[in-house]
Amino acid sequence: MTKGTIQLTQSKHKIKKAKKIKKEKKSFFISVASVLIFLLLWELASQNEWINPLFISSPIEIAQAAVLMVQEISFWENVEVSGYEFVAGFVLAILIGIPIGVLSGWNANFNAVVNPFISGLYVTPKVALLPVIIIAFGIGPASKIVIVFLMAFFPIVMSAQKAMLTLDQNLIKAARTFNASEFQIFKTIALPSTVPFLLNGIRLGIGQGLIAVVVGELFASTAGIGYQLTSNGQNLQTDRMFVGVLVITITGIILTSLLGIIERRFSSWKPENS
Amino acid sequence: MENEQLEENFKLCTRFLDVTYVNNKTGAEVIALQNINLSIIDGEFICIVGPSGCGKTTFLNTVVGLLKPSKGEILLDQQKIDGPGKDRAMVFQNPSLLPWRTVLENVLYGVELLKQVTAEKKKEAKEFIEMVGLKGYENHYPHELSGGMQQRVNLARALTLNPSLILLDEPFSALDAQTREFMQGELLRIWEETKKTSLFITHQIDEAVFLADRIFVFGARPGRVVEVVDVDIPRPRDLHVKRSPEFLEVVDHIWSIIEQESSKQGFDNKEK
Repeated sequence: MTKGTIQLTQSKHKIKKAKKIKKEKKSFFISVASVLIFLLLWELASQNEWINPLFISSPIEIAQAAVLMVQEISFWENVEVSGYEFVAGFVLAILIGIPIGVLSGWNANFNAVVNPFISGLYVTPKVALLPVIIIAFGIGPASKIVIVFLMAFFPIVMSAQKAMLTLDQNLIKAARTFNASEFQIFKTIALPSTVPFLLNGIRLGIGQGLIAVVVGELFASTAGIGYQLTSNGQNLQTDRMFVGVLVITITGIILTSLLGIIERRFSSWKPENS
Repeated sequence: MENEQLEENFKLCTRFLDVTYVNNKTGAEVIALQNINLSIIDGEFICIVGPSGCGKTTFLNTVVGLLKPSKGEILLDQQKIDGPGKDRAMVFQNPSLLPWRTVLENVLYGVELLKQVTAEKKKEAKEFIEMVGLKGYENHYPHELSGGMQQRVNLARALTLNPSLILLDEPFSALDAQTREFMQGELLRIWEETKKTSLFITHQIDEAVFLADRIFVFGARPGRVVEVVDVDIPRPRDLHVKRSPEFLEVVDHIWSIIEQESSKQGFDNKEK
């Protein structure tokens, strides 16, 4: 417990960290190489017509199409429409999903009310409801907001619920002996415990929400990335279609890595290897 | 017996205390504690030992206020105990630290729940962290500490509440043998410094004899006090005491009580 041992453990930490960084660097280079080799094979497959280029286009053609498309106004309009639909639906899913999940995990009666719907709808493929949603909300952005909400909502609710059900009972007992009120237990134990679970639910929600935007727009729409995808496909413009796919993929990667940054900020208290 | 003395002289008294609970599976009423009459003097270190199922933990939970007596009463500083209160603080078997809080924030947690966090309290908390030997670790998270260090935080948290009575529920039972011995010595050192009345539960007889001024030996089915053993080993005690003949004599004596109790009950406490 002396200063010496503290410094020793700190320097041990440093050595561990340096080793970890070295390892991370190595796997990063392997990943980059793996992607480059994949792109190269793709290009070769296309040029040598191992696979019909009409189906798979080629990385170079896709890049060329991308350069052209980012100069088109209609492309940015489509991005804007899809972006609006996704953000609106997703924010709604978070705003409604987290309180419902947390409350139903905390209060057994509330849980009894909402749980049949949550567990029932969770396993229902939400896209099956699209025809009705289109009838009710039209082919504009509103119907897409609804489907994004529906698909992102359930992973978020379920994760909040699960977080509340796995609370550490030892902590709650300790708080009770310290005379804590129910509200204090909720604020100081229940809410902080949910954060890692919620972030995980939100991560799943992002994936679901992106699927929802595209599927919603494929089904019926007048604008958006999904709309553009369909029309490109119908016109056999595979390269342009792949650019649309790429936009969605990149969005997903950006969003999940942003989430990763938030996650690290919130979980500095967790052991590093978990 | 100390029952003859006036109640005002005592820190903690239990009078004709019964605790019963209903078994969840069978629905039958189980008598966990029967007719417990104890008196503890201010500044005393008391240990409770007994076979598993003797109601040690039930007794502690009743004193802390999580369980209600079905008969009788408990007086702390002449006040009847009715639910948890800030005059008692518990050190748990499981460290029960909030993993997202640093050592200092955890030590202040009990005070924070009572809405009594002041600059002075923070200073006090830091002093207790130093007293339990964790100076320099104020901003570490629990996962960065060993089991023994986590229990030190657990203890500092209880001390920071400045309670009248400290309750310790087998706090060292999850530690390895060596750390446990060391922590027993540390606990005595801290107790000598603070002179807080302490009620310590353990199933380890040598731990009880090493720590306690008096030991209440509990018997099982129903839980009750079988004998009160005075430990006349002079203080301050260090770990060498454990090899002295007088120490071993007390240990033997308690063993024989528990053995007798077990055979009378017709079950072997080593089973569990």
